[in-house]
Amino acid sequence: MFAYLIKRLIQMVLVLWVVSVIVFLMMSFTGDPVFMVVPIDATDAEIAQARRLLGLDQSLLVQYWKFLTSLLQGDFGRSYVFRQPAMTLILERMPATVEMVLVAMALAIAVAIPLGVYAGANPESRISRFIMAGSLLGISLPGFWVGMVLIYLFAVHWGVFPSSGRGDTAELWGIRISLLTWDGWHHIVLPAVTLSLGTMAIILRMTRAGMMEVGRQDFMKFARAKGATRSDVLYKHGLKNALIPVVTIFGLQLGDLIAFATITETIFSWPGMGKLLIDSIYRADRPVIVVYLMLVAFIFVVINFIVDIVYTMIDPRITLK
Amino acid sequence: MKYLSQSALRAGAIGLAVLAAASPALAQEKSIIIGLTADPSHLYPLAGEELSSNIMYYHLYDPLVKRGADLSFGPGLAESWENVDETTWRFTLREGVTFHNGNAFTAADVVYTVNKARESIRPDLVANIAEITAVDDLTVEIKTPAPYAVLPNDLAELLILDEEYTEATGDEQMDLKPMGTGPYMLGEWIKEEKLVLNAFDDYWGGEPVIKTVTFRPITNPATRTAALLTGEVDVIQDLAVRDVDRVKSEDGFSVITRPSLLNVVLAMDTREDSPTIEGPNPMTDQRVREAIARAIDVDALNQVVMNGLATPSDQYVPSSHIGYVDGMNFREMYPLDIEKAKQLMADAGHADGFTMTLDATNNRYVNDAQIAQALASMLAKINIDLQLNIMPKSNFWGYIRVPTENSSFIMSGWDVPAGDAGSMYGALFYTRDKKEGYGQVNRGSYSNPEVDALVDKADATGSIEERDQYLQEATKLLLADIPMIPVHYEQDIYAARDGVTLEPRVDKFIWAFDMDVE
Repeated sequence: MFAYLIKRLIQMVLVLWVVSVIVFLMMSFTGDPVFMVVPIDATDAEIAQARRLLGLDQSLLVQYWKFLTSLLQGDFGRSYVFRQPAMTLILERMPATVEMVLVAMALAIAVAIPLGVYAGANPESRISRFIMAGSLLGISLPGFWVGMVLIYLFAVHWGVFPSSGRGDTAELWGIRISLLTWDGWHHIVLPAVTLSLGTMAIILRMTRAGMMEVGRQDFMKFARAKGATRSDVLYKHGLKNALIPVVTIFGLQLGDLIAFATITETIFSWPGMGKLLIDSIYRADRPVIVVYLMLVAFIFVVINFIVDIVYTMIDPRITLK
Repeated sequence: MKYLSQSALRAGAIGLAVLAAASPALAQEKSIIIGLTADPSHLYPLAGEELSSNIMYYHLYDPLVKRGADLSFGPGLAESWENVDETTWRFTLREGVTFHNGNAFTAADVVYTVNKARESIRPDLVANIAEITAVDDLTVEIKTPAPYAVLPNDLAELLILDEEYTEATGDEQMDLKPMGTGPYMLGEWIKEEKLVLNAFDDYWGGEPVIKTVTFRPITNPATRTAALLTGEVDVIQDLAVRDVDRVKSEDGFSVITRPSLLNVVLAMDTREDSPTIEGPNPMTDQRVREAIARAIDVDALNQVVMNGLATPSDQYVPSSHIGYVDGMNFREMYPLDIEKAKQLMADAGHADGFTMTLDATNNRYVNDAQIAQALASMLAKINIDLQLNIMPKSNFWGYIRVPTENSSFIMSGWDVPAGDAGSMYGALFYTRDKKEGYGQVNRGSYSNPEVDALVDKADATGSIEERDQYLQEATKLLLADIPMIPVHYEQDIYAARDGVTLEPRVDKFIWAFDMDVE
C-alpha cells in the first residue's frame, strides 16, 4: 500500500511536469498576451515596457526555466491580466465550484443508483423503459440549454428559485460555504440539477448494465434460494458486484465536473473557477492556465487514488500493488 | 458652459442631499444592484483598463478634470486651470478634499501619480506630460513636450492616488484595497460574485444619494435579462439585442439606448504590394476604395445583422468631437450604388475584380463575424472575392499589428473618449515610422503629407479653436481620400426596472453618483 502510494506520487510529478510543458508550448500559438493588456493605440515603447513588466521580454525557454525554479519555491507565478498570484485566483474561486459539484454528484447518485438497480432488475417493465428513455434525454440534452430552460421556468416564470448567483454564505474554517445557509441552498438547486443530469444518466445506465450482467450469475440465485429478501439480494449481493465500473465512472465524472463546470457556472453566474479558465484562455493568460491545468491533473490523480482504495473496499479480491 | 453643467451637477447633488436630510429613514435605505457583463480585473487604475474596471475606478477615484456624461469636460480635483505659456499649464487644486482614509489630497499626490504612471503598464496616460512640479500644496504645474491644447481632456483619464497609502500598500494589494477620493468606498469584493461599494459621505461633490451600490457580474446575456426580470438586479448593462422586445413588452421595465463612441471601421491597405492580394494592390487607387465604400450597404447591415441597433457612421469621429465637420456625411458622399461602383472599378482597370482577405474578430464587436460575412456577399457584387479570416480577439491584435505583415483589409473598432479626433488621426492616418508616437496603428500604411502636416499643426497649437480647424481640414481630406471606411456606431443598450434613473454616459462608464432609485 505504501509502495503503491509512492509509485503514484512519482507518476503524479511526471504528469504535472508534462502538463506544464504542453501548456507552455501551446500557449506560444494562442496570441500574444501583451496585446490583451496594452491599449489598442499603444506605441512600441509602451508595448516594450508592458512586456518587460510582465516578464514576456525573455525567450520562452528562459520563461519556462523561471517558472520551474519559482515553482520549486512554492511560487506559481502571477496572472498577466490580474497581476495577482495565479494560485490565489484559482483557490479563492474553488470552494464555490467544489460545493456545486458535490451537491450535483450527491443528487446524481441518489437518483441514478436506485433507478438503475430497478431498471436492471426489471428490464422488461414499463417503468424501466420510461427510466431508460429519460436517461437518454439526460445524456443528449446540452447543459446550457437545460440551464436556460430551468431559469426560464423556475426563476422567470414561476419565481420559485433565483436565476443566478450564489446567495448568502457562511464561513467555516475561513472558507465561504453556501450550503450552511437557507439562501445558499435556494441558489444552488438549479445549477446543481443542471450539472447533475449528464452524470445521472451515465451512472444510471452503468448501474443498469452491471445489474443485468450480475443478475445472470449463479450466486444471485443461491442468495435468493437461501432466503435473502429481494432487496438484500439486489443491493447487498447484486449492486456490490456491479459497482466497480460505476465507481470508476463516478471518479472520472467528479474530476471532470470540478475542472470543467464552466458552462453551468457561466449560465448561472456561479462564482466558480471554471469561468476563470475560459476567461484566461480568451486573454492568453498563460500563468493561470498552467496552474489551473496542473491543479486539475493533481485533482484527477487524487481522485483516481481514492477510487482505487474504494475498489479494495468493495471487492476484497483486489489489492493495490 | 462646461463649468455650468458641473455646478448644476453639484447643485443637484446638494438639493438631493437636503431632501435626503428631510426624510432620513427613506434615504438610509437607498441602494441599487447593477448587473455587469464581467467582473472587474482591477481596482488599481495603473494596473490596466477594461470597461468593468473603468466603471469601478470612477466610483473609487477622481481625476483632475472630470468628463461629464455627454463628454463635456469640467473641474474635478482641479478647480481651475490656465496656460502660463504655450507648453505650461497651471492647475489649481480643490481645497479640503480627503481620501477615504482621511488623508488630505495635495499637489504631492498628483505629482506622485504622474510619476507612478510612467513606470506602470499605462505610460500612455501621461504620454503628453513632460514634467510635473508641485508649486505649492494646492497648485501643480505641468509642462507638455509641445503645445497641446487638449491636455485637460487627457487628464480626465488619470485618476489620482494617495501617495502615502499607495506606497505603503504596494501595486499588488492596491488591486484589492483601493483608496481614492471618489464618491464611493470599497465595501466588499467577492470575486465573480459581487462587488459592494459604500457611499463616502465626505465626498467633495456632495453626499451620494444611493448609499450602497452592488455590482454583480453576469456574463451570460440571457441570464442577465432573467436576473432583471426576476428583480434580482435593478439595472443591467448590455441587454442582448434579441431580448430588447421582450423587456420592452414587460410591465415595469424599460430599455435605454444610446449610440456608443465605438466606430466600426474597415482599413484598406494602400501599399503597392499587399499580403493577401496577388499582383499590384488595386486599393492604391482611390477609385477602387470608393467603389468598395459604395458597395457596402450599411442600412442592410443595420437592419439584418444589427436588428436596427446601430447608427451608420457619418465620419470617423462622432459630432461631439473636436475635428468633426458639421454637415459632412460619408453616407451622402458615397451612397450605396452598385452601378457606380462597378464603373469606378472599370475606370481603375479592375472590372474583373480581385481576391483579398478580410481579417475580423468573432468576439470583440457586436455580431462582428456576421458583419464580415455580409461584407463578403456585398463586395461580391463588384467582383471582389472576399475571403474571410475570422479569429478571436486574443489572436487578432497581434495578427493585425503594424507593420501589418498579414493583412490587406481589416475590420476593427475605434473610440476616442477624450472627445478629440487628433489622437485617432495621429495613430491611424499619420505616415508610418516618420515620427515617434505617430502612425503606430496605421494598418493600411496610408500616407498623405497634407494630413501629416495638419496633424502636426494641430498638435503644435495651444488653442482648441485652431486645433479644431486643422483637424476639420484633415477630416475633409480623409473623407475624400478614403483610407478607411467608417461603417457604424454600435448602440449601448441598458435595461432597468421602473424607478431607476439612469442617463447613459457616452463613455459607457456607469456612475451611481449620477443615478437615483425609488
